[in-house]
Amino acid sequence: MAKMIKIWEKYYMVFLKGLGGTLWISAVVVALGTVLGMLVALMHMGKLKPLRALAEAYIEVLRGTPVLLQLYFFWIVLPKLVPFELSDTGCILVALIINASAYISEIIRAGIGAVDAGQWEAARSVGLSEKNVMTRIILPQAVKNILPALGNEFISTVKGTSLASVFFVGELMTSYKSVQSATFLALQSLTIVGIIYFLLNFVLSRLLRVLERRLMASD
Amino acid sequence: MTNEILRVENLVKNFGKLEVLRGVSTSIHKGEVVSIIGPSGGGKSTFLRCLNRLEEPTSGQIFFKGQDITDKKLDIARFRRQIGMVFQNFNVFPHLTVLENITLAPTLELKIPREEAEAEAMALLARVGLSDKAGEYPRKLSGGQKQRLSIVRALAMHPEVMLFDEPTSALDPEMVKEVLNVISGLAKSGMTIVIVTHEMGFARSISDRVLFICDGVIKEEGNPDTIFTCPHDPSTIRFLSMVL
Repeated sequence: MAKMIKIWEKYYMVFLKGLGGTLWISAVVVALGTVLGMLVALMHMGKLKPLRALAEAYIEVLRGTPVLLQLYFFWIVLPKLVPFELSDTGCILVALIINASAYISEIIRAGIGAVDAGQWEAARSVGLSEKNVMTRIILPQAVKNILPALGNEFISTVKGTSLASVFFVGELMTSYKSVQSATFLALQSLTIVGIIYFLLNFVLSRLLRVLERRLMASD
Repeated sequence: MTNEILRVENLVKNFGKLEVLRGVSTSIHKGEVVSIIGPSGGGKSTFLRCLNRLEEPTSGQIFFKGQDITDKKLDIARFRRQIGMVFQNFNVFPHLTVLENITLAPTLELKIPREEAEAEAMALLARVGLSDKAGEYPRKLSGGQKQRLSIVRALAMHPEVMLFDEPTSALDPEMVKEVLNVISGLAKSGMTIVIVTHEMGFARSISDRVLFICDGVIKEEGNPDTIFTCPHDPSTIRFLSMVL
């Protein structure tokens, strides 16, 4: 315990910087993952068969292979594909976004699927265009189904970013590695990082519960 | 005929192997009130839902004022604006207020200015006795009120014809009358109406013509007094003896 406090006093900036990294990576991954996931979900639900098959394959492959494998894959392949210099962080970010988009697209699809079929029919019966049916009637109702699940996705993204430490990308798990190799006190620095992760997700899940209750209240 | 609103020719609808409509033909004229009766699963609702293509017909044609609306390349939304529909389960939009339920389509699709659309919506609400509910969300309404709302939501688009799909079947008994009153008010004002209903007395009193649909075809049609007092088709006789 004493050693832990000492480590914290000496290295708290490293941990806080790592926490900052974890937070911004998670936020970017969920934000862009949602945008991409929305596109994939639309393709998946659309009328065009080739696009539908493509979306299905995309989701299956990303859900059927380990995240760590995907990180390695993009880390190796991406720098060869793009004409500009791409940092490790960039590669890992892209990989995490793509991985999250597969899960988020399924969340969105399920959320839209849970809207009563009668709402589609009523919206069409008054002559709304397909775009307006979606944006004015279906999505606003689907959001209530989507947001709670998206919150859970945010939490698992926070935990998932720890894999980026394999590539020494600046986030919380990498902070552990740095401190551990500087102090040789593995257990103590691991515990500190564990507590930070736990507190972060604890706060997040509480916030989500409040948000969920708000959504329910307007129902 | 020039005042023909809808003409249906040899309409067929299959769900997989199940033949729900097996060749239905009829015409609906301006100002006409047509009731569709018949046993459950006979194809009444499917027929009605094909008229604005909520169900895609398997074959056959539907003409709306002379235009074939079964053409897949057609922008069907343009025609749905002229064909109002009321559902058994109301299907009001729960995330919009009563007023917004009514003004959404006119402002978005007919580009009617907001104030104008709201003024008209208020007039419509007054007509069905819901003026005081304009700012409420539908969850605060009773079933009968929701159904009256869904009727004026359709009317706000100034449709040429109104389709009613068992509008009172999901209502508590004490609310049936308030909805039927609104519908007969519409009929008296000259609106063209096609209504699928189990309310035989109502069908008889408001209709100009009754269609008896059973086993996917129109078994019998005619003026309500004839159908209800001396039906000819054996299936009509059997059905009426069970419900009357």
